[in-house]
Amino acid sequence: MLLLQLLVDGLQLGAIYALMAVGFAVIFGATRVFHYAHGTSYVIVGYLFYYLAERLHLAWWAAAAAASAAGVVFGVLLDRWMYRPIQRDEGSFFTVFVASFGIAVVAENVIVILFGASFVSISTPLTRANDIGGGIVISHLGILSMLIAVGLFTFLNWFLAKTDVGVALRALSENPELVRSFGLNPRKLSQYAFAIGSLLVAPAALVATCVTGLTPTAGHRVVLISIAASIIGGIGSLRGAGLGGLILGLAESLAVWKLSTGWSEAVAFVILFAFILARPSGLFGSKARV
Amino acid sequence: MLGYILNLLILVSISGILAGSLNFIIGYAGIYSMAHAAFFGVAAYAGALVAMHVSTSLLVAIPVAMLICAALSLVISLPSLRVRGEYFVVASLGLQMIAFTVFSEWKSLTGGLGGLTGVPVATLFGYALRSLESFLAVSLVCLALVTFVIYMLARTSFGRSLRAIRDNEVAAAAFDKNATIIKTIAVAISSALCGIAGVLYAFHVSFVNPESFTVDQSVLIMAMIIIGGTGTVFGPILGALIIHLLPAGLTYLTFLPARDLASLQQIIYGAAMVLLMVYRPSGIIGSSNIKDTWSK
Amino acid sequence: MSDTPVLRLKSVNKRFGGVVAANNVDLDLPPGIITTLVGPNGAGKTTLFNLITGNLKPDSGTIELRGQSLADVDPRGAARLGIARSFQDLRLFEQMTVFENVLSVMERSALPWQPGGRAAARERREKADATIATVGLANWRDARSIDLGYAEQKFLSLARILVTDASLWLLDEPASGLDPASYARFVGLVRGRLAHGVTICLIEHNLDIVHGISDRIAFLDQGTVLAAGEPRAILNDPKLAAIYFGERR
Repeated sequence: MLLLQLLVDGLQLGAIYALMAVGFAVIFGATRVFHYAHGTSYVIVGYLFYYLAERLHLAWWAAAAAASAAGVVFGVLLDRWMYRPIQRDEGSFFTVFVASFGIAVVAENVIVILFGASFVSISTPLTRANDIGGGIVISHLGILSMLIAVGLFTFLNWFLAKTDVGVALRALSENPELVRSFGLNPRKLSQYAFAIGSLLVAPAALVATCVTGLTPTAGHRVVLISIAASIIGGIGSLRGAGLGGLILGLAESLAVWKLSTGWSEAVAFVILFAFILARPSGLFGSKARV
Repeated sequence: MLGYILNLLILVSISGILAGSLNFIIGYAGIYSMAHAAFFGVAAYAGALVAMHVSTSLLVAIPVAMLICAALSLVISLPSLRVRGEYFVVASLGLQMIAFTVFSEWKSLTGGLGGLTGVPVATLFGYALRSLESFLAVSLVCLALVTFVIYMLARTSFGRSLRAIRDNEVAAAAFDKNATIIKTIAVAISSALCGIAGVLYAFHVSFVNPESFTVDQSVLIMAMIIIGGTGTVFGPILGALIIHLLPAGLTYLTFLPARDLASLQQIIYGAAMVLLMVYRPSGIIGSSNIKDTWSK
Repeated sequence: MSDTPVLRLKSVNKRFGGVVAANNVDLDLPPGIITTLVGPNGAGKTTLFNLITGNLKPDSGTIELRGQSLADVDPRGAARLGIARSFQDLRLFEQMTVFENVLSVMERSALPWQPGGRAAARERREKADATIATVGLANWRDARSIDLGYAEQKFLSLARILVTDASLWLLDEPASGLDPASYARFVGLVRGRLAHGVTICLIEHNLDIVHGISDRIAFLDQGTVLAAGEPRAILNDPKLAAIYFGERR
């Protein structure tokens, strides 16, 4: 039944969006940086994965690992060399945003020069659709991506609850004033935040490279979905960001029931506008902190 | 050669209007909009449709486009400015993305990815602007008018209120300034002025398609403001000139592959943004030692 | 002189998480005099200002301006009710000139024009220039406020308040750091307005100068009003001095 299939597709997409969104939320929550270049981490991971696996014919797991590591390194270095200096000086929200946007533009166009502007993708048998009963199809990769999402979120849950760094990050996210009061080291924390946030976006990129293909401009949509999900879920709530991502994925997929795929991409932003209009604090954000 | 120069000047005029109208809210009010290319596109499509179905007169197409752009701006500014300026950036990004989808998908209205072709020649008071010279004259007049409007607004109480809100919104509120309404009006004005550029563009190139109104275009407009300087009325125009001359200049560097020139431009502007934000603590806004000429 | 206070806080409470910013605060601001709030850092003085102007909402208690509740009032509403407020960190419109700073606070309409047309506009400009001259900043009229020296900025902050028609002034450490001569001039300007029916509440840190400026003092610590009344009595109280200078139980 079409609706059920769309639901399954929506869960897959939602899992991917949730990963991106939580990655962004971890970073924003801990550092208050509008990390527009979050989308750039995504593109770097995807294109590097493509390059290593498809062009250099590395084993896929090695390519995936290397690409993911590159994404993490990018995030951490950007924090070290760009965000930190800006925030030391004046660091208004907008200054950081423009710089982040600038990096995204540079990276996107370097990729255009290196790889061209059209789609690249990796063909793999994992994307073949398998009937799981009742006419519903799902690919191995689809199942894998959902499992990865669940796995990473479980790990994140543990990390944020049981480790010193994790607890600090979560506290930071909900109450930025606490950082200074409790003498936590913001520099080290922001490094962790960027590392984790950039790591979370890696599976999304890896999956997309195999399934939908990658273009240099994909980063814009990635970061917008992440922000939209964070706002929907409530700024300051990591759980909210994940839920927001899931909602957006489901909505976009279900929208295909009535709209063409082109229009369904706009659904996420319509939902975003609706929340900004009616409930800017999101589902789990505290009203006072908007 | 003359045709090339005339064409270039027309595009510079159009860009001058784009940059000036964006600077009105970024440099002047501290409102960062990433949707300017979207408004540019909406106006271009509106102008093209008016020209093809209603009237080729600029005096019809331009006001229609301005009205549509101003009304559309309310869609993002009313909900988000009520909250915080940061939400406005997000909302404007969202609008930019939706706009591209609308341009590409609403095929019956916009012609989809192929766009609208065959926009007729513009007319003004019945006179057809067939020659490049005549169109340039009109474009320059529009640029002058837009610049004048911005300059005048800057000197009024409205301009002062905008800058007060930009400089310190909390203090402005303590003195009963309604930041939400003032910013909303500023955004509407900025979008409407941008609409003029859109109509001129549609008539000049006589076709519109989604490719001209993407984030890349927003990057170019921002670069014009950054390079030309946000503190003066003429800065954005200078920036527009430089941005349009750069591609021509780059072609002289023959070791650069031609197909990469557009990307190289974007890389230069992106890098300029990063470097400026890192090394100029006051960011885009504020002229560190130069006297703020808005106050004149 | 009437006895009913211009501003009355009753049982005002405010907490931020575990921090008590205002603890059952009762405070009256009698009309036509200067009441000074003193107390160590973090005592909650600025918080009270924020509660009065609506930047913060109290958890409980009432705040009344001439009998009218300020419960639903936001900072703009407070300004409209005749409350003018200055900030400890000044919050000048930094990129704007001295003249524009003073002129702009009189331009309250959100529309691209102000009511009253040309005549009113000219009046506002004249009033701005007059006020700038009164505070002694005529030489800096067209300088950007961010380029001013420390003392000049303080006087500019005062000018912005002077030029409004406010009847209740809340000044947060308005003269801290001024040299004695400037300070005397500042106090003179402030005191001069009392005759026009203005009521003033100051936050002041420096106990030496508090004596000279205050008609009444309220001493705060950790969100609590420990004492309120004649300046001499409060300033000579050794217990309060101990708290102020950091010896705690």
